[in-house]
Amino acid sequence: MGLYVTLIRAQISAQLQYRASFAIQAVGQFLATFTDFIMLLLLFQRFPSIAGWTLGEVAFLYGLGGLAFGISDLLCGGFDGLSKMIRMGTFDRVLIRPVGTFAQVLAGDVQFRRVGRVVQGVVTLGFALSLLDIAWSAPKIAVLVSAIVAGAVIFTAIWVIGAAITFWTVETSEVTNVFTYGGEALVSYPMPIYAEGIRRFFTYVVPLVFVSYLPALFILERPDPLGLPPVLQLCSPIVAVAFLLVARVCWAFGVRHYQGTGS
Amino acid sequence: MLRFVRRKAVDVEAVAGVSFKVGAGEMIGYVGPNGAGKSTTIKMLTGILQPSGGRVRVAGLDPARQRLEVAKRIGVVFGQRSQLWWDLPLVDSFELLRHIYRVPADAYRQRLAYFTELLELGSFLETPVRQLSLGQRMRGDLTASLLHAPPVLFLDEPSIGLDVVAKARIRDLLAQINRDQGVTILLTTHDMADIERLCSRMLIIDHGRVIYDGGIEAIREQYGDERTVVVDLAEAGPPLTVPDATVTRTDGPRQWLRFRRSETTAAQVVASVAATARLRDLTIEEPAIEDIVRGIYERGDRRQNTGVRRGETSPVSCLLGEVVASVAPVHGLDVDRRDV
Repeated sequence: MGLYVTLIRAQISAQLQYRASFAIQAVGQFLATFTDFIMLLLLFQRFPSIAGWTLGEVAFLYGLGGLAFGISDLLCGGFDGLSKMIRMGTFDRVLIRPVGTFAQVLAGDVQFRRVGRVVQGVVTLGFALSLLDIAWSAPKIAVLVSAIVAGAVIFTAIWVIGAAITFWTVETSEVTNVFTYGGEALVSYPMPIYAEGIRRFFTYVVPLVFVSYLPALFILERPDPLGLPPVLQLCSPIVAVAFLLVARVCWAFGVRHYQGTGS
Repeated sequence: MLRFVRRKAVDVEAVAGVSFKVGAGEMIGYVGPNGAGKSTTIKMLTGILQPSGGRVRVAGLDPARQRLEVAKRIGVVFGQRSQLWWDLPLVDSFELLRHIYRVPADAYRQRLAYFTELLELGSFLETPVRQLSLGQRMRGDLTASLLHAPPVLFLDEPSIGLDVVAKARIRDLLAQINRDQGVTILLTTHDMADIERLCSRMLIIDHGRVIYDGGIEAIREQYGDERTVVVDLAEAGPPLTVPDATVTRTDGPRQWLRFRRSETTAAQVVASVAATARLRDLTIEEPAIEDIVRGIYERGDRRQNTGVRRGETSPVSCLLGEVVASVAPVHGLDVDRRDV
């Protein structure tokens, strides 16, 4: 953990070498993601609700998913760069150091310009909370905080699995982007708008429903038209940890494959 | 077009039969033409790649299985690839490595001072790595690989692209840490002068096999059969005809006669020359190690005795080959081969 902090601090100072570029990119990231949110606002100009969800409620989903994704992208984005590391041969450097490969890649490419995405998530969530009238209680606050962390972990696990596949394909697969960037878009809308097959897939295979939809049902006290057991609304942290363990296994397989072939 | 759609999987055996033992405190030169399998061997020894067969031991440990333990005990320098942080001042990279290798603060300060003095790093410790010259960067990389005081050091072409001054400085450092601290060094290079200056032993590998393992002087005995007598004659003339020797070059009155020591002697060649022309001066040239090694590579090229294809950079799958090891010393490294 201390090493992670040290490595991240080094990267901050490295990136601050290019202050102007850093600022422009951070603002750019914020604007790019915020434009997506404007689209949502325009949508609500035409329709009063989506699948029975009001603007405030959808914005809540949007903010929750965006914040979780932003944190993951900011702190664990190193996995996205694995393809480049393999091509440039810098992954070899990871293997000659007396620290686990997972931790090194995790801390290997932290881009602080991505903070723009996190800010966008916070702003959207704040906007949603200003529209909604939520009766806050300790369990609700706990679910909100744990959902943000669990969501970040779930997105990170997807990055890791995608990166593990890179050990075979070398190029980052577009399939990974479907689940990461695409996943962020997916969790920004209420699940009932999707076809049943898609909902099942994102519940039982890639557990994205645990990022925002299920915790939101609990906090907003909405009935679940899909009829999932209500206890699942509290299970995001457990699911996140389990999914991360699966990702770790995939990662270990990937590293072993790399060591067996040298790609 | 079809090739583009369906690449055929080719198994390329990068290393077929590599076998060697390096004792603790030895410094050996590991040479071979491009694509011979040098880098692959180094990657196997450092735990980056796992051989598909055989046994590798470094400091008594299996690099693939005990990667983290081996990593603490080895230093690695890839001449073509820096392990420093590009945008940070050089000293920050050292500081990060101190954390990664958990070097105690006292030991770190002491070693950094040692290398700063020896390699004259002082003037550019605070310079971002991207602004360093190649020679400065290599000195930085070398320091980076030694801050945790590894008993074994692997160098993959550390002198590539360096000028003579930078090369000399790095050679001096290697000689010094080998002598004073008993660091075991395996040095890969294309520069035979590096090997001649530093190593008492040389390993030549080609097509994934060891084709020579022995002393630097012994290689002259074994392969350096050819000698050249350079004669200065009284006047320029047509190439001489001398039994068992051939004229390889003429330049005015000067002629170069090549002979094999196994067929004749320098004295006989000189006597034959003196019998047909007026001789003013003569010298005898020993073959340079570089020429001998080139001769060995060229012979190896003609043989093509294994399935290794040179220049295959991206096979779909790659069989890393057999490397079998015997019992290793606790200190030093040890690779052995079973005939395949």
